Amino acid sequence: MSKISAPKSNREFIEACVKAGDAVRIKQEVDWENEAGAIVRRACELGAAAPFMEKIKDYPGFSYFGAPLSTYRRMAISLGMDPASSLPEIGKEYLKRTNSEPIAPVLVDRKDAPCKENILMGKDVDLCKLPVPLVHDGDGGRYVGTWHAVVTKHPVRGDVNWGMYRQMMFDSRTMSGAVFPFSDLGKALNEYYLPRGETCPFATAIGLSPLAAMAACAPSPIPEPELVGMLSGEPARLVKCETNDLEVPADAEIIIEGEICPDYKVEEGPFGEYTGYRTSPRDFRVTFRVNCITYRNNATMTISNMGVPQDEGQLLRSFSLGLELEKLLKSQGIPVTGVYMHPRSTHHMMIVGVKPTYSGIAQQIAQLAFGSKLGPWFHMVMVVDDQTDIFNWDEVYHAFCTRCHPVNGIHVYKNTTGTPLYPYATPHERKYSIGSKVLFDCLWPVDWDKINDVPTLVSFKNVYPKDVQEKVMSNWTAYGYPEVK
Amino acid sequence: MNKWEVFVMDMSELAEGKDIELSIRTLNAGLHKYTYKRVKCQVSAKQDKFPDSLQVRMGRGQLSASKYSIKVLEEVQRMPEKYL
Repeated sequence: MSKISAPKSNREFIEACVKAGDAVRIKQEVDWENEAGAIVRRACELGAAAPFMEKIKDYPGFSYFGAPLSTYRRMAISLGMDPASSLPEIGKEYLKRTNSEPIAPVLVDRKDAPCKENILMGKDVDLCKLPVPLVHDGDGGRYVGTWHAVVTKHPVRGDVNWGMYRQMMFDSRTMSGAVFPFSDLGKALNEYYLPRGETCPFATAIGLSPLAAMAACAPSPIPEPELVGMLSGEPARLVKCETNDLEVPADAEIIIEGEICPDYKVEEGPFGEYTGYRTSPRDFRVTFRVNCITYRNNATMTISNMGVPQDEGQLLRSFSLGLELEKLLKSQGIPVTGVYMHPRSTHHMMIVGVKPTYSGIAQQIAQLAFGSKLGPWFHMVMVVDDQTDIFNWDEVYHAFCTRCHPVNGIHVYKNTTGTPLYPYATPHERKYSIGSKVLFDCLWPVDWDKINDVPTLVSFKNVYPKDVQEKVMSNWTAYGYPEVK
Repeated sequence: MNKWEVFVMDMSELAEGKDIELSIRTLNAGLHKYTYKRVKCQVSAKQDKFPDSLQVRMGRGQLSASKYSIKVLEEVQRMPEKYL
């Protein structure tokens, strides 16, 4: 593998983004209450450069970096690629790296860990000493964790989990968070800690390297510390926590250590979510009790502002969910040619390209995808043939509107697993994470005669001989048309 | 005068004329703005009845036009002692 030159920390990433014109340094003071969130939201909706806010009201020495991965350009920069790389090129690189040999992390001494430069313990612990933003007006609280990793370890299996579970500051030492019962952490809490009445150690890492954040967000079966190594081409640097045995990214900006109290819940939400709505109700959710805070000098807090497309909640999740589903389908021998989730679907629709070589292939794809661990996060699967460009919504939409039989092509799956975040779900479904799913089969049936039954696609590329196409294209400007780029 | 805010799903949660328990967050300026307390209190739809103001939001964050006043009687510790 050629040497990967990806940013190894949030700071290196900011510098790379500024250099490429994909981040702006904001020198004037910004208010943590709404203003910073509004800047990030507007940047997301405009597809603008990421805001690096260097002066925060009430919090001298701290800064914010917003919308870190809300564009494909910044995703390319995070992987050490040319910012102009196309989405298929970025996807191909992700698959290449994540199909390589795992790279184990290294444990560094605490003196070599910048995240230990400042340590708050005991009575000094106060989340309000961090510039926790009020991201959206009307949110249930100031959100500590919007672009971060909650690090835990399974008590029996020992496997490490980094998950991006949103965390709201309830009081100076308490956070509440949305941890769904089908998630890795939700399962560990319900299956192990709650029955035993034991607390679950956690550490929240904020201001991660972009690839560590990508790993925390990716629904990959590979342990996140190894996944970071695979994505960046070198071992992730970890350091032991101050108050528990967990290991956290040594170069993170802020680490919050503590215990999850499985039998005690406090109010969380509402919060602006990746679907573009505040959907999930304010409810009693998981309680994180804080024992220690460590942070770098001049720490930068990362902010993701979720709302209408597009932000990293949609872009990165669509990207990694699609590619992990592609791996899953290929592992089952299905001849898929690609999987794509458009960020504007808020990763609710999986578009699959496949060579339709046997009957029922679309249903097989849908059942595997919906039945997988990733299934709760989307509810639509659209299957098109390998001649349709899955990245071109015009082609996909045309296939959907013309090939999906209203009776034979639409398959509904009821009473599946869902999330409380689905805007269309009933209040009852949201409360109990009940979902429903739909498959749009846009393939010509394989039992149709290919000559007499399957319609012929009438397009420039499909109906004219190649020599005529070339003649027309080469004479295009001579006909009086402007050049096509 | 302190400024407080509460989230409710239904305005009937703000029963008047009796002691009730609420999770309220401070709107006072400062580093601790928006942190919560669990309190026993009395509330009133009359803004001048009690010393502190209480702003109301609904379950999805919508600001209610109704303005209340509140008298905080005492803080309530819900968290089990083993976690304190």
